[in-house]
Amino acid sequence: MRFQPDEDLSALLSALDRVLRSDAAGWRVAPDHARHAWSPALDAQLEASGFFEAAAEPSLGPVAAAELTRRVAGAPALAEAGASALLRPLALAAGAPDLPRPLAVTAGTAPGAAIPFLPVARAVLRIAPNGVDAAALAPGDAATVPSLFAYPMGRLVREPDWTRLSVSPDAALARWRVALAAELAGALQGGLDAVVAHVTERRQFGRPLGSFQGVQHRLAATAARVEGARLLALRAAQDLCPADAPEALGHAQRIAGEAVYDLHQFMGAMGLTLEHPLHRWTYRARWLRGALGGAEANLAAAADLRWAAA
Amino acid sequence: MHFDWTDEDRAYRARIRDFLARELPADWPAIQREGPGSKAQTDFSREFCPRLAAEGLLVPHWPAAWGGADRPTWEHFILGEEMWAAGEPRGAQYMNVNWIGPTLMRFGSPEQQARYIPPMAGGTAIWCQGFSEPGAGSDLAALRTRAERDGDDYVINGTKIWTSYAGLADTCFLLTRVVGGAEGGGQGGGKDAKGGGKSAIAIFLAPMDSPGIEVRPIPSLIGQGDIHEVFFTDLRLPASARLGEEGQAWSIISYALANERVGIPRYEMGAKALAQMVAALRAEGRFADAAVRARAGAASAACEAARLLVYRVVDDRARGLAPGPESNIARAAVVAAEHAVADFGMDFLPEAFAGDGLPFAQAHHERAIVAGIAAGAAEIQLNLIASRHLNLPREVA
Repeated sequence: MRFQPDEDLSALLSALDRVLRSDAAGWRVAPDHARHAWSPALDAQLEASGFFEAAAEPSLGPVAAAELTRRVAGAPALAEAGASALLRPLALAAGAPDLPRPLAVTAGTAPGAAIPFLPVARAVLRIAPNGVDAAALAPGDAATVPSLFAYPMGRLVREPDWTRLSVSPDAALARWRVALAAELAGALQGGLDAVVAHVTERRQFGRPLGSFQGVQHRLAATAARVEGARLLALRAAQDLCPADAPEALGHAQRIAGEAVYDLHQFMGAMGLTLEHPLHRWTYRARWLRGALGGAEANLAAAADLRWAAA
Repeated sequence: MHFDWTDEDRAYRARIRDFLARELPADWPAIQREGPGSKAQTDFSREFCPRLAAEGLLVPHWPAAWGGADRPTWEHFILGEEMWAAGEPRGAQYMNVNWIGPTLMRFGSPEQQARYIPPMAGGTAIWCQGFSEPGAGSDLAALRTRAERDGDDYVINGTKIWTSYAGLADTCFLLTRVVGGAEGGGQGGGKDAKGGGKSAIAIFLAPMDSPGIEVRPIPSLIGQGDIHEVFFTDLRLPASARLGEEGQAWSIISYALANERVGIPRYEMGAKALAQMVAALRAEGRFADAAVRARAGAASAACEAARLLVYRVVDDRARGLAPGPESNIARAAVVAAEHAVADFGMDFLPEAFAGDGLPFAQAHHERAIVAGIAAGAAEIQLNLIASRHLNLPREVA
């Protein structure tokens, strides 16, 4: 039981934090008031620096990949991290021929449903109950779908050339749940940090908003819940117990609703504008909250695995 | 970062479980149902704890000089988890093991140490903590029980309330405010100089059979004999019963509370009660309902989040770091977990809480509902998270 990062992980995370403080990761208003801003620069920088290989490194592994996913999700700019860091190493080891990233993932989505990252993805993974498939995407395979979510959303308009991978759907699903849980914990943390900064600065009634106990208690409760979600996601990455991954995702999804409500309440009208980044975190969180059936489905799945019928 | 146990930790846990399976009597479920402050459980602890001591499982984390074995922090914590999950067969004595003993080792006089520590290490001492008062709950520093110097003695008058285990305790860890006299008051400076605030507080180790102490149990929702009022009327104690110096009390209390803060691994009993309730629902075919399973999963997730947040605090302690806001976050999560389990039970398995039902779930419920109140209200933890973790501006008076 060790909660502090070891030397290798500390080094990785400090390098990552430098990238996440760079301009490429920073806030900018999207052209045409789009609700998301895909940052090719940040995405390319993360790939070029080799961060997505972390999970495949024996000295780092999936816990590092989950923490990487979480931290990237805390940036206002958008890069694709969860699928690349956690699923891609599994897919490559399971015979995926070539898996250029960014990656999109379809799992448990209704046919024709819009999928995050698909318009910018160069490959797609499909996790279905009967098997896991991978396909490279050619230009024109996917079409952009306008949406309220802070992801580039799209759907397949042409069936790509799928390759069946030699990995169990359960194993892939567990990794994907960890990725989603880490991303959701990160998005909530990003939003929380922004709101804490706001209520520390913003004064009303002659005092900082953040000095009101009514504000403090709700943000403190959210902070405690987000910390729990973070640790559950990291532990689930270690794959000690099959119930851990759906439990981590379901828990993060269950706390997300109240957290998103509070974050917007305390950001006030500014949080409703596209000039402030809060929506970039909360409208990722809103998509993630419903992923793989949402809190009820994931927590029920966790219950099935934790108390497997004797 | 890794979240797995070492082989040594696993073996240690298995050893404790084997001991409990072997040593707890067949009527233990009925005894533990009465609550840790009950006569039944207190009497039981007086014969069970000496057996734990003989096995080296009562105070293994204490220094060898005091009957321990200098075992590491994590083993101490694993021991606490297993005891709490079993319904706390140590009764009130968990307090001796966790913080009263270590506090006396650090701050007690040689005479106090010789008198009080061996019975704790032997498993026969019952203590109560005289902290809360009618006017001093979460705001402990507002306490008003008076200790007045009279020659070599102090004369103590006042009232304590919510005092756990007082009815059967041998000794009270008693917080008082010193008034008058040469040593009274003036060590703190500032607003404390006239005997107010923290600097005038003194701790006494008060034998509960002294004349001038009256204990009245308070009937409650949380088990028999758990909480009491304690009245002190001209209780006379020698100065040698004072722990540390008069001005030192608040730092002693801070030390003691830091050891107590995550002292009870409540989520462990919650997780076990939840598993029993799930088994009962499944046996009746009611666990097929997706809504029930989702709520059970949510309660379990809350327990596991609390577990990890508590483990992080233990990890810090094991590495010798001072307690930070992580302990406040852990307590907030523990309160949420306890209520998630308690609510799940009453929502979906009300029959567990009537008649014979599920005694373990009943016992858990009575401990769970106190989680947000005992050791200071959960809202105080939120204040501390806001100021220490989020660095939010202090509230303007």
